[in-house]
Amino acid sequence: MPTAIITGSSEGLGKAVVLKLLTAGWHVHGFSRQPSEIAHPHFVDHRVDVTQVSSVQNAVAVATANNQGIDLLINNAGAASMNALLLTPSKVAENLMQVNYLGAFHCIQAVGKQMVRQRRGLIINITTVAVPLALEGEAAYVASKAALDALTQVAGKELSSQGVTVVGLGFGPVPTKLTQAVDGNKLQHLNERIGRPNGTSLQEAADFILEAIQQANPVPGSIRYLAQIQSR
Amino acid sequence: MMTRPQSLALVLKRLRALGQELDRPSLLTADEQTRLFGDGAALDSMGLVTLISDLEEDIYRECGARVALADEKAMSRLTSPFRRVNLLADYIIEVVNAG
Repeated sequence: MPTAIITGSSEGLGKAVVLKLLTAGWHVHGFSRQPSEIAHPHFVDHRVDVTQVSSVQNAVAVATANNQGIDLLINNAGAASMNALLLTPSKVAENLMQVNYLGAFHCIQAVGKQMVRQRRGLIINITTVAVPLALEGEAAYVASKAALDALTQVAGKELSSQGVTVVGLGFGPVPTKLTQAVDGNKLQHLNERIGRPNGTSLQEAADFILEAIQQANPVPGSIRYLAQIQSR
Repeated sequence: MMTRPQSLALVLKRLRALGQELDRPSLLTADEQTRLFGDGAALDSMGLVTLISDLEEDIYRECGARVALADEKAMSRLTSPFRRVNLLADYIIEVVNAG
């Protein structure tokens, strides 16, 4: 039975992907700060703060105990904040970088080592169309996700020779807690701009991730979007 | 606790396994003086990463200690513990027995 670790698994897109993987026969370790409502014999719920390296390392040690391999890591945990650049508190910018970039960095290091030992594995970093569009009003968020994209590209190159593939998957606005506070007209305008006038549902985003997992030979370090945006 | 002969044996065993996997004959005959990294060394950067990742797991299985061999402490040393086999074997003892 293939085994996955998903961060940000207690709600939103993470939860939707966990449910799809369980249905597809995966064993899933969910990493999140809040308890999950999912009760399934093949789901293990871990309390993890991805911004704390020791928290990540301890959870990965538990997940890989008894020689349990990890086939898939999805770095989905994320934070968002929409604000004009000059009005964004530095604490907010710091937190976005901690969660969106460093959180994934910690998980890639901890799980990546396990995957290098196995000489196989797939790491998916969840990103956003806001980076290639350089969306105004989201400077700190875009910068943190751009850092994640750069990490994806370099990790893809570094780890591919060890049998570990790293890719990024990007989305427009998906109806989660992160987009609740955003003005509806702005979301509609953005969705039209990226060729998805009806928006992107949680199920569509989760299906896109599942398709990527099943893809035979993904390009290491590539970033693909569920939107009319050129892959990178 | 781990002894010096144990740590040396772990490193050499892992290097020989890597030598077979990567088809690098020089690793099959590795000894204490084998250069691991740098000019004329047996491993490239990713080979070294693989060796360290494998050794961390070997150490856990051998003595139950979860250690990070490549941390700030190791990287900031004037003489890198990853330069030669004997230095790495010494460093493993230091890290494991300090835990």
